[in-house]
Amino acid sequence: MLTHDHVFGLVWEFLLTFEYTAFRRRERGPEPSFRGSTESFQRRTRRRRKPAEAPPTVAGLGAAGPWAKSGGRGGPGPCRSPGVTAGPAAPSPRRRLWSPPSPPFGEASGCSLLAAPGKFACAKAPPLERGQLGFVVRHINSTTWWHEHLSEENVQFLKKTTAEEYKAQTDSKLCPLKDEPWPLNEWKPDSIRVGVVAVKLGMMPIWTKSGKKHAVTLLKVQDCHVLRYVSKEESGGKTSKLLVGGKNASPFSKSESAMEIFKEAGPRKQKVTTFNVTDDAIIKPGTPLYAAHFRPGQFVDVTAKTIGKGFQGVMKRWGFKGQPATHGQTKTHRRPGAISTNKAAKVYRGKKMPGKMGNIYRTSFGLKVWRINTKHDIIYVNGSVPGHTNCLVKVKDSKLPTYKDCNKNPPFPTFFADGDEKLPEDLYDEEIFQFTDPSVTYA
Amino acid sequence: FSSSGYRINSDGKPAKFQPPPKPVIIDKQKQREERRFLSPEFIPPRGRTDPLKFYIERKDMIQRRKVFNIPEFYVGSVLAVTTADPYANEKSNRFVGICIQRGGKGLGATFVLRNVIEDQGVEICYELYNPRIQAIEVLKLEKRLDDNLMYLRDALPEYSTFDMNMKPVSRLDSEEIPVNKLQVRMKPKPWSKRWERPKYNIKGIKFELPEKKMKEAQKWSQPWLEFDMLREYDTSKIEEKIWKEVSEALQK
Repeated sequence: MLTHDHVFGLVWEFLLTFEYTAFRRRERGPEPSFRGSTESFQRRTRRRRKPAEAPPTVAGLGAAGPWAKSGGRGGPGPCRSPGVTAGPAAPSPRRRLWSPPSPPFGEASGCSLLAAPGKFACAKAPPLERGQLGFVVRHINSTTWWHEHLSEENVQFLKKTTAEEYKAQTDSKLCPLKDEPWPLNEWKPDSIRVGVVAVKLGMMPIWTKSGKKHAVTLLKVQDCHVLRYVSKEESGGKTSKLLVGGKNASPFSKSESAMEIFKEAGPRKQKVTTFNVTDDAIIKPGTPLYAAHFRPGQFVDVTAKTIGKGFQGVMKRWGFKGQPATHGQTKTHRRPGAISTNKAAKVYRGKKMPGKMGNIYRTSFGLKVWRINTKHDIIYVNGSVPGHTNCLVKVKDSKLPTYKDCNKNPPFPTFFADGDEKLPEDLYDEEIFQFTDPSVTYA
Repeated sequence: FSSSGYRINSDGKPAKFQPPPKPVIIDKQKQREERRFLSPEFIPPRGRTDPLKFYIERKDMIQRRKVFNIPEFYVGSVLAVTTADPYANEKSNRFVGICIQRGGKGLGATFVLRNVIEDQGVEICYELYNPRIQAIEVLKLEKRLDDNLMYLRDALPEYSTFDMNMKPVSRLDSEEIPVNKLQVRMKPKPWSKRWERPKYNIKGIKFELPEKKMKEAQKWSQPWLEFDMLREYDTSKIEEKIWKEVSEALQK
């Protein structure tokens, strides 16, 4: 007997075989005019569907899992008298309320066709890898730390050898200009060069020669290396990409697959970002990047994950006014109030409501670089930067058109420490007040 | 001629010559060196910031101190500060006042000077490392019973008035900093803050409130605070290290 579930499965399969994926890859429409326009809003809040997502089918994996024992009742059935016990007999044909999402289509739907009506089929589970399960199951918490089952000597040995290995690797790539350099090109107004990954140290005041005070964030460039070069064809984008890594971290807490990126490049980095770069600005993987990559007087964009505030109400998250504290308000002081109008008869997508706030990537644009310390690799950047202290941050040349003139003739493609240039320990902007000068006077 | 040979001991035998005891010389210079003063803005606050950031800031602070002298002063001392002001005649501005508060750490350290000028109380908050400051003179160096003299706002104005043309009070280098145990008389209540409450821990006010009010104020005392171990911040070792660093850098 063909139930509606089977028909649905067939239709779904049919759609897939008809290159459904081709339907998704449509052309991007015209760019929206400004950030507040309806098109821009709709584009930002459009729901994204991943191709692997499938509606739950009946022929799910009935194999393992505690649900198989429930006998497929599906929901709270009618109460039975205590005398009559309905044992877990043959599963009923009634559909379950939820079944785990099925992996590779071919297998699951193939099984559904073969299955006799009313029986659950076991789909073949894909070959399991360590730490991965073929389907979503309740968490198996068996966490160990990397040296729980090793002896002390082995731990010390491992630590020593990895440190030595990484040191040798980084040292071998310390002189990028001297051994097999990639071709160096001249800077053109169209070229986009790499950025840098830095650690946010804290903030400090600085004064200009006219006596004005500005607040400055210190960003330290710590163990920044270029990890990999991805050409335009490989990545499928408009420009080639360079993978850059930040602070060094321990290689022991990640799986082998995650460490593959770092095999040739050196020690594991805490943050790995991609920079879209023009072809004349590509750099050999393994080159270290320094703070002198930027110069004072330049303008910079800084991206980082904002401080996470957890689940927050509407007043903190969106700045709503709330309700008064007195004058008869019953249990309503921080609530959103009305969420839509009568005529709309629905709630619009993207309506500002309580939810998780923070811990998302945000960028501060157009920050001036006041000072560079070449000895400790510190960039002094105007204003504040998203993220908490000691968080990793992505620093790029500013994309704003107002600062196109200020970012002329930077060290291109990057600043090489083994090159001919010998920079002083501190590089200052023209307007900044240096503490070696006497006090400011107005003549 | 010396009569030492004729001295006879209590035993009856001739006494051995005992030289007179050496005089104890109190070297005032050494005393002054032993008394160290580390300005409170050098001590880093407790937190998860990288000590490298404090080191970089300290380098800048020492650099400024080499060019411009920032004298030692405490809350309760009378200072005169000259700043560069583009809108004043002769482009400079002199203010005399008593320091009521020292706040901030690192380059953003501030101090607030208070004075009463023509019956109007004036408080100015200066930044220690602002390049517009041209001179800081200490007219009277002394300490008070409290670290924070904000209660002078509610005290009688005579305790905050200082002459603008006050002469600096001379003192020897070797003496200890005098502690002025002055108990200040207040204006009638209401005050800007309830200074009688134990959280402010003020010793420099002569409270003329009835006993009942003083007892009621003790209701807000938190006697467990002084035993709270998580609030402990022992700065002695940090201070030692920073003092060594700063004094070596300044002497160069």
